[in-house]
Amino acid sequence: MSPLALIGPPSATFTPSEVSYLSILPMLIVAGAALIGVLVEAFAPRAARFTAQFAVAMLGLLAAFAVIAMRAPAMIGVTLSGAVVVDGPALVFQGMVLLMGAAGLALMAERFGGRGPDAFTPSGSSVPGSQAEGLAERLGTTTEVFPLTMFALLGMMLFPASGDLLTMFVALEVLSMPLYVLTALARRRRLLSQEAALKYFLLGSFSSAFFLFGAALLYGYAGSLNLGEIGRAVGTVSGRGGLLAAGALLLFVGLLFKVGAVPFHSWTPDVYQGAPTPVTGFMAACTKVAAFGALLRLVYVGLAGSRWDWELVLWIVAGLTMVVGSVLSVSQTDIKRLLAYSSVAHAGFILVGLLAIDRAGIAAVTFYLASYGFATIAAFGIVLLVRARGSEATHISQWAGLGRRAPVLAAGMGLLLMGFAGIPLTSGFTAKFAVFAAAVAHAGAAGVVLTVIGVLSSAVTAYVYFRIVVLMFFSEPGGAPVDVLRPSAGGATAIGVGLLTTVVLGVFPAPLLALAASASQFLW
Amino acid sequence: MSLMNYVYLAIVLFAIGAATVLVRRNAIIVFMGIELMLNAVNLAFVTFARMNGSLDGQAVALFVMVVAAAEVVVGLAIIMTIHRSRRSASVDDANLLKL
Amino acid sequence: MAVVVSSPYLPILIFFACGIAFAALSVLGLGVVGPKKYNSAKFVAYECGIQPSPRADQGGRVPVKFYTVAMLFIIFDIESVFLFPFAVAFDSLGLFALVEMVLFVLTVFVAYVYVWRRGGLDWD
Repeated sequence: MSPLALIGPPSATFTPSEVSYLSILPMLIVAGAALIGVLVEAFAPRAARFTAQFAVAMLGLLAAFAVIAMRAPAMIGVTLSGAVVVDGPALVFQGMVLLMGAAGLALMAERFGGRGPDAFTPSGSSVPGSQAEGLAERLGTTTEVFPLTMFALLGMMLFPASGDLLTMFVALEVLSMPLYVLTALARRRRLLSQEAALKYFLLGSFSSAFFLFGAALLYGYAGSLNLGEIGRAVGTVSGRGGLLAAGALLLFVGLLFKVGAVPFHSWTPDVYQGAPTPVTGFMAACTKVAAFGALLRLVYVGLAGSRWDWELVLWIVAGLTMVVGSVLSVSQTDIKRLLAYSSVAHAGFILVGLLAIDRAGIAAVTFYLASYGFATIAAFGIVLLVRARGSEATHISQWAGLGRRAPVLAAGMGLLLMGFAGIPLTSGFTAKFAVFAAAVAHAGAAGVVLTVIGVLSSAVTAYVYFRIVVLMFFSEPGGAPVDVLRPSAGGATAIGVGLLTTVVLGVFPAPLLALAASASQFLW
Repeated sequence: MSLMNYVYLAIVLFAIGAATVLVRRNAIIVFMGIELMLNAVNLAFVTFARMNGSLDGQAVALFVMVVAAAEVVVGLAIIMTIHRSRRSASVDDANLLKL
Repeated sequence: MAVVVSSPYLPILIFFACGIAFAALSVLGLGVVGPKKYNSAKFVAYECGIQPSPRADQGGRVPVKFYTVAMLFIIFDIESVFLFPFAVAFDSLGLFALVEMVLFVLTVFVAYVYVWRRGGLDWD
């Protein structure tokens, strides 16, 4: 099944590579659910499509997660001639992607109990305001979002489990391309949404071309695309050091773009603002988890031996990401853009943990991603509910006085923002503590400097979040009236899970920290 | 002739593609720049495969061609939709999302 | 008369030169000596059934259908990228690879079925 094994010299005797079907079963389930989704889209009658699609996608995700939850120890191993490596970190990241994908899917299916439309345009290809769009509006809705999301999730599951650079590149593209399309499908503000998709697409494919060129240079250096082989070549191959350093930096361009690190962050606010809000939540959580999983594997398995070549650059990137993300979030007036800059700052914090180059760093990054991912999906879910004249009220001034109109919702948003700020007894505090502790313990003086920068940036972002809390609870509502919609059971669950993880991981972080620490050994 | 010359050619082509992306304003032409970058990478992969004496690099070239084609489909669909709704494919006209 | 043929390729070269000279003389000479009488029928495409397609850069508009067809073409074009190395190495690959390729083609077929059912293949 491995593409590399298939293309051998014709004269050689061909032995199919070993396939451990249990190890890749979760990915096969998600791929199967995506393909069934495409067939449902083709054959099911229009009225039944929405229910059928949602059921297929959700069952696929839960079945895949059940396999991981029950059989994880037996699944560990290198399979498909080293193209796919299922080890502790890969399984934990796949599990996180699946659960966050399920939460994101529940928000995408949010129709407020049939009282309101969902967030997606009925016809993505029609001109906004044209006759064709009106016709599509009467006929039904876009249920293609479910198979698209499943394909994106397939790429996200493969990304942290890819054992060679080719698999990593294919996974990167499989996760990116559905996201480009999903970004363009907003029901309201279509022009904004299409423009965001264009920017995301052009910049995304630009950065993946850099990733690929880096892969080519590393292949030229090590003679193999396998990350383990590249790691072993670092000590043994001499005279090609230029290829190694340039290749590593180009690979980082591609991956740092996906996590939204400065200076590759410029797409983040535009795309987060333009994309349909459930897609933004899904993208913010799952893409970050998958991309950091891949970045961890690349750094720890392939490039740890050559850390002197690129470490300084990544330290600077991490510091800049924290500073730029937190400082620019101060001046934002749109809640989605504000959350986008906050996600940039979070990417910086996570990078600090990653740069510890130690197993403690892997565990800290895992914990941070779990606490940030669920909370950010819930935050975008709450943004989805606050409406002014039918469309989402994303301007911050519209949130003034929300605490009186909808105390529960405002309190929930306040809790999530406290979590983002890293207030003690929330998950954000434990997560930040874990990454900074790992950096101080294992990254030497640079770790200390980055920790100081990180704490100062946290203070800046805390100011931003407190400002919104004050706005919601202690200021008069002004301007146009704002409605708060009641979520259906699925959406409420997704938001509830985010709130719950924020509290539970803050008060009882030990079980997840222990799980992350026990599953922090990479195979190659 | 040294095989390294092909690598240099790949680097030059990649740089031309990257410059096209950064300088040109028409989305289609920006997109062509990206395709040029991917093809430059293909050349680099095939050359390194020859230098290393392994076939992996040639297999990668096939995958890159497939991914590039998929990117063409997704990209053209997005560019076409945006062109139909505002009659322009210029990147500069897409400016609703500035601060 | 003794003609010294220095190279066996010389006749071919002379043949080429004569051919090019004849073509150039006919085209250029006709423009000089031929009568020039124009009417509208002379400006349409010669002995072809339909007018040439409109071109986007000359203000003409191409039906959007062409893009759909082009995208579908790319999908099937690319499918053959994987089929070709498989066919070349078929003898040494055996049953496993055959099953793999059938699965691959079936996956692409799912996309094809989707396009067909959603009207991507209808021209009007």
